[in-house]
Amino acid sequence: MYEKTVTIIAPHGIHTRPAALLVKAAKNFDCDVIVECNGKQASAKSLFKLQTLGLYQGQSVKIFADGEQAEKAVETVSELLITLS
Amino acid sequence: MAVTGIVVSPGIAFGQAVHINLHNQTVDYRLLPVADIAKECEKATKAIRFLTSHLSHCQTQIEPDSEHFHLIDADIMLLEDDDLAEQLKNYITRFRFSAVVSVERIFAQHAEELAQLDDPYMANRSNDVLCLGKRLMSAVNGTLQWDVSKLTDNSILLAEDITPAEFATIPLNKIKGIVLQTGGLTSHTAILAKAAGIPALLSCQFNTHDILDGSPLILDAISGELHINPAPDTQQLLQQKSEQESKRRDALLQYVDKPSVTRDGHPVCLLANVSSMNDITQIEHSGAAGIGLFRTEFLLMQVDSVPNEKQQYQQYCDALHSLNGKVLTIRTFDIGADKEIPCLSQQYEDNPALGVRGIRYSLQHQTLFTTQIKAVLRAANHGRIRLLFPMVNQIEELEQAFELIDWCKQQLVEEEKGFGELNVGIMVETPAAVLNLPHLLPKLDFISIGSNDLTQYTLAADRGNPELVKDYPPVSPAMIRLIKMAVDTCKIHQIKVCLCGELASDTKLISLLVGLGIDELSVNTASLLDVKATICNGQYQQFYRQAQQALGFSHIEQLNQLFS
Repeated sequence: MYEKTVTIIAPHGIHTRPAALLVKAAKNFDCDVIVECNGKQASAKSLFKLQTLGLYQGQSVKIFADGEQAEKAVETVSELLITLS
Repeated sequence: MAVTGIVVSPGIAFGQAVHINLHNQTVDYRLLPVADIAKECEKATKAIRFLTSHLSHCQTQIEPDSEHFHLIDADIMLLEDDDLAEQLKNYITRFRFSAVVSVERIFAQHAEELAQLDDPYMANRSNDVLCLGKRLMSAVNGTLQWDVSKLTDNSILLAEDITPAEFATIPLNKIKGIVLQTGGLTSHTAILAKAAGIPALLSCQFNTHDILDGSPLILDAISGELHINPAPDTQQLLQQKSEQESKRRDALLQYVDKPSVTRDGHPVCLLANVSSMNDITQIEHSGAAGIGLFRTEFLLMQVDSVPNEKQQYQQYCDALHSLNGKVLTIRTFDIGADKEIPCLSQQYEDNPALGVRGIRYSLQHQTLFTTQIKAVLRAANHGRIRLLFPMVNQIEELEQAFELIDWCKQQLVEEEKGFGELNVGIMVETPAAVLNLPHLLPKLDFISIGSNDLTQYTLAADRGNPELVKDYPPVSPAMIRLIKMAVDTCKIHQIKVCLCGELASDTKLISLLVGLGIDELSVNTASLLDVKATICNGQYQQFYRQAQQALGFSHIEQLNQLFS
């Protein structure tokens, strides 16, 4: 298991468009990537679930994954979470 | 007949009604016979595939990598989501709902979940989700239609709602205007219509059956009215309004992006006075550097109860969002005097202009006051906000107000809600406030002179009394000296002075105000470009000399002649 915690800096948080880009990136990996925020968890591959997490500015988000490519997947998703706006 | 709505993209349009999507969904809520379960699952899958390909087709008609394109991408992604597929299967097989009912339930639940998010931008997306759900229901029913071939030249498009994908397929050259029953200021349609420069009215509760396809319509997206089958005199009136408006605007448009600076390089910050969220959305192309006065009490005038902290927070965030980084000056509820607020209790007063009004009312009704301050503090986390207290006369009022701000911050810390820092200012509306400025200014970041009230309290002349207006005008020797005194005191403390009364909207008086040393003028949006043109074409040296001359005058008539 590989995990990482980041803080969202985008002023309007990870709203629809950036969330969609994030899902697209996550789908490139075989392993499932889980995003945890506000005590709620969602698969980074599900926009449906991701939307309901409330990924707004200042929120601390934990990203974790298991299996092959786990590290690369978590790093990719984390990077997007802090750069997308 | 006229129906009102929210102006999201201003202009006046003449045309014929075209209804574009009527989602009369037939929904059968009966339990599914077990034998039909497999068939319904299949139906749902097919509908998703159908809608996805429809959306992909829409995408081919727009620029890849545009904002728009990505929004449709997100819709497709939602439809192809494994989680949605699983939920649909679950609803159909376990609860034995039909495919349509399942879609309705799942999207309604998802929208509800989004609406509850603390962040207003994200909560707003709940509407888009509902919209997508409705399209999927139509797809299941086989009634998904988006027939833009009905549009002829001069169409005014009427619909319940429009998704970004659908917007992409509209031949924009054919439509004169858009009227939707749903939607708000921050909805995608609002953003898209504004970007396309098409007059649009949202949240317009027209009755679909009142308007036949082809009915003549006038969309007045300046006043926010849709006129159905307009009478000849209305038509003529609006025709004139439209012509005047376009001539005037064309001539002034050159000033929109020009900095507000005199020819000899003296800058005058030009801001806008607004009374509604609606006004705020029209700021973008008004040439204003921000909002100099948001009269928030108007938010209370047409509602049954005071909006709660979360609702106010959302409104202020929406305002910041529309302003896109420009400053927002929020005046706390200015209640009393000539303003009656139906949803609040107000005591009868023999002399309301000299009664419990402005900050006095707020300090007596602290729950109302602190709810607003908390909402403003929270919104300040998302953008630049200046807070303005009305009718502050003396330091005791200001000290109490600051104590309440501190209390609100403490509360927010305990509630673990984020907030930002505010710049705080007062409205200077009485001679006492001017005289007390040396003591008040060390606590303040700016002041704003309310010239309407300052005139009436200085001259002891009711501004609503027509018999007094002529002999006791705002431009009088006492007023000019008082403004000068305020400006001079502020210069000593290096505090900016704004003037936000009617005086600032009168182009003949700009030279006087700027010449007296006012740093910022806040005017209504309709006069903004006129004022800006006056500033841009003027010389500060000349303004200064005129102001000096005015200060030497003893008679009103002399002033009238100088500034005629």
